[in-house]
Amino acid sequence: MWSRLSDIDRMFNAMNLLQSRMDKIYGDYGTSRGFPASWIAAESMPKTNLYDLGDRFEVVAELPGFLKENLDIKIQGNYLELSGNHQPDAPENYSVHRVERGTTSFSRSFTLPSDVDSEKAEASLKNGLLKLNLPKAEAAKPKQITVK
Amino acid sequence: MSDKAELVKSDTEIVEKSRPIPTVGSLVDIYENEDEILLHVDMPGVEKDNIKVNIDNGTLSLSAVRQLETRGVSTWEEFGDVEYKRSFSVPQTIDVSKVDAELKDGVLRLHLPKSEAAKPRQIEIKTG
Repeated sequence: MWSRLSDIDRMFNAMNLLQSRMDKIYGDYGTSRGFPASWIAAESMPKTNLYDLGDRFEVVAELPGFLKENLDIKIQGNYLELSGNHQPDAPENYSVHRVERGTTSFSRSFTLPSDVDSEKAEASLKNGLLKLNLPKAEAAKPKQITVK
Repeated sequence: MSDKAELVKSDTEIVEKSRPIPTVGSLVDIYENEDEILLHVDMPGVEKDNIKVNIDNGTLSLSAVRQLETRGVSTWEEFGDVEYKRSFSVPQTIDVSKVDAELKDGVLRLHLPKSEAAKPRQIEIKTG
């Protein structure tokens, strides 16, 4: 039925166009589940990515508005726990029209594919993205084997 | 009418296109006091230079592109490059020349000051 990928692309383009039209009609339509991606609020738990770089893992998490003092990171073996807590940043003496953000606390735990060296783990926070640099434990690192 | 033209137009393009990055609506808090309207917008991972704020004819449009530096093989990936997009109707009483935006910790704070004429005034009652 679809002879080329471009046909599928074209179909999605038409759907995107329709969606953007709907967006215009509804403007800032209420955010609730069951709507296309641009209409829904992000999940309350932070989204994360995990990358494997051979001798280490890199975990990236979306944490807009969090300060480094408000974050708690625990590592044990291959278990990683991220949690955070901060005060809502609502300004004083303002009336409120709309509140969608409001994530003030979270906790999320992961099982990493292998053990990491918690002593050498590093974390940085920039532009609301938390980046964890987790070197793998010696036993889990890739080994070069020389052929004799 | 214009809808149809666009649909037909994209139909005649045969060239394979690279997939555009997905567009999502960012989360927004809106506050107001006597002096200004204040928006807090979540934009994790967006650099300052990639944010566009546009006020035109009573519509405020926000567009911010996030480009992640990714290395290695992803084991799981829940977010990626994205364009945050949102538009709002703003009252004409906003003083466009004094709009101020700051980006901190992945949150954009947008101050939309009201023009002097739109601020509430206390009327003094004279006794005669």
